[in-house]
Amino acid sequence: MGLIRAVFDAAFRQGGTRLKPVGPRWPLLLFHVDTGGCGGCGMELEALGAGAYDVQGAGFGFVQSPRAADVLLITGSLTRTMAPVLEAAWQAMPTPKGVICVGNCAIDGGFFPENYTTMGGLDRKVRIDLRIPGCPPTPLQVLEGLCSLFGKRPEGETSADHGAGSSTSS
Amino acid sequence: MDAEAHIRAGAETETPWRYRLDELAWRDLVDGLKQSHLPFVGVWCDGVDVHALFLPHGVQPLAATLALEDGRYPALSPARAVSSLYERMIFDLYGAEAMWATDVRPLVDHEVWSNTTPLAASPGPAGGHKGMIAFQPSDAWAAETVGVMTGIGPATGARETPLHTALVLDGETITRAETLSGYAHRGLTQRWKNSRVDDACRLSGRVVAGCSAAHQVAFCQAVEAACGETIGHEVAQLRVVLLELERCLQHLYTLGGLAREAGALLVSSRCMWFREQILTETAPVIGSRLLMDHCVPGGVNLRAATEIGTLCTRIAELGEEIYPTLVELWQGYAGLAGRMAGVGVVNSAVLEQVGLDGPVARAGGGDCDCRRDLRMYDGLWRFTAGRHDGSVEDRAAVLLDEIGESLRMLTELGPRLGLTAGGRIDLTYPDGEGVGMAEGPWGTILYWVRLQNGRVDQVFMRDPSASALLAYEAALPGQAVADIGLIRASLGVNAAALDG
Repeated sequence: MGLIRAVFDAAFRQGGTRLKPVGPRWPLLLFHVDTGGCGGCGMELEALGAGAYDVQGAGFGFVQSPRAADVLLITGSLTRTMAPVLEAAWQAMPTPKGVICVGNCAIDGGFFPENYTTMGGLDRKVRIDLRIPGCPPTPLQVLEGLCSLFGKRPEGETSADHGAGSSTSS
Repeated sequence: MDAEAHIRAGAETETPWRYRLDELAWRDLVDGLKQSHLPFVGVWCDGVDVHALFLPHGVQPLAATLALEDGRYPALSPARAVSSLYERMIFDLYGAEAMWATDVRPLVDHEVWSNTTPLAASPGPAGGHKGMIAFQPSDAWAAETVGVMTGIGPATGARETPLHTALVLDGETITRAETLSGYAHRGLTQRWKNSRVDDACRLSGRVVAGCSAAHQVAFCQAVEAACGETIGHEVAQLRVVLLELERCLQHLYTLGGLAREAGALLVSSRCMWFREQILTETAPVIGSRLLMDHCVPGGVNLRAATEIGTLCTRIAELGEEIYPTLVELWQGYAGLAGRMAGVGVVNSAVLEQVGLDGPVARAGGGDCDCRRDLRMYDGLWRFTAGRHDGSVEDRAAVLLDEIGESLRMLTELGPRLGLTAGGRIDLTYPDGEGVGMAEGPWGTILYWVRLQNGRVDQVFMRDPSASALLAYEAALPGQAVADIGLIRASLGVNAAALDG
């Protein structure tokens, strides 16, 4: 299914042309779309963004419009109703751009694999630049996953330290 | 005859509280309901019959069953507004038509599925719609729309579940609002069908995050009721710990969101920080942050059950340390209460009409809390009354009060639990039906479960989100468009629970 062809050029890959610096001096901007899960990953993202984890200091920010975003951050199993919405958000984003899947549902469908209304996860449908598995992953695991884009671990203190991150980057 | 007598006059079924009516008796029931206050839970279909569930006395269920005739049945929505959402869902899933329904628009099927009527005996062909789905206005909307039309959602960039709100604006004021849902429909009814009981329980924990423990407690109680088993007092109290912890965490989350929407970022981060403090204590003992999969049929499944008593005491200490200052900050923070005062009023007339319960109803003068009737809350729950003018400010105040009450219950539970072992009894699953309920953070969550051949045959789930959606649509006209976020967050409108 050719929903999204992620042409993820340069922003994070070594050797590519880096159009703008990313990291603490210039945050990587994330546009979050919930494509139809229980909303748990969204809650953990909210906890991540609410201050206790200093996600801004680590070099990330959430934006309200895909036109301002560098990365599409997807949670939840993709429903057929949300697929065109996701596609439109992707088309509206400027290049270079990338896809991050947070949570098992977004990756492989998790508890909601393909049926009459969902298409399951995005795995093997589009090129995913970063997978952060879990049901749901803790905010710290999400942060560690995001920081692995820059090849570093989150700095400073985090208030909730349980369970090591298990993110995989492709 | 009143509505309850109409049901009891029907033929008895294998389930003592469910009666089979014929079509005329069902129509009499609908007429009777218009004059009665019999609390309505929901209506669902299994392909052959439709069932309507009521709660006449506290937690005692009473259900009516009607066989579909030519795939049709008389609608309950003329008597109970919220029934309209269930009837639209039944049509989308089974193709069964509700006659004289107040609203016949599709709810979740927008012709993009791989089958229409996927749960009918012979599912229909794939929907032919391509691209983004369009908002379909109701008849009333089409008749009197004057002003600028706009819409919000489903992808707003905020961390919320996908829902589209269509609006008509007059300047900055909303004159009409309707919603378009179905973006988060995952086919739970189909996934529950013929699933193993443990898998079904895990699914019920993923209906809506933030209410997972309440959903799973209600599901497990329904399964236990179907098996005729009662769980021990100690395990029931462990479940109360899960439920009350969840209420604290979810209310703090909601308050954090409300404060942020109201522009009080300091108060918002303080709420979320308190939540993280509690989570730092609970997650290692209980085993997860969002309290998923800790309530299982027949018992509980905790990482370190023996430490729960100590955990409650620790949370109580945290509460004593942080909660009073949070209340003081909330009440005294310049502009916060004023920003929310008089916004998004849901008064008792609206509440009555849409059948909403939970903190939203309590903040609007309603007296409803199913903890009053649940045996596991014996000696713990007490009646509290707070503000009741029904605005966002009142709802926030009620949420803040309820955090205090939940902390008090945890304080009392700590010494009682001591070194409890927790654990789980093995259930054998005979054929049968059961109902279970729990008071979730946003109101009563009820499950009806039918077991067959050792598996789950069918599940019906009632979540306050259906009524909350109607309250949301009713509360928006007359409000400023900038207040939508506040109103939505304060009503607990959640597409994940609604779409199923």
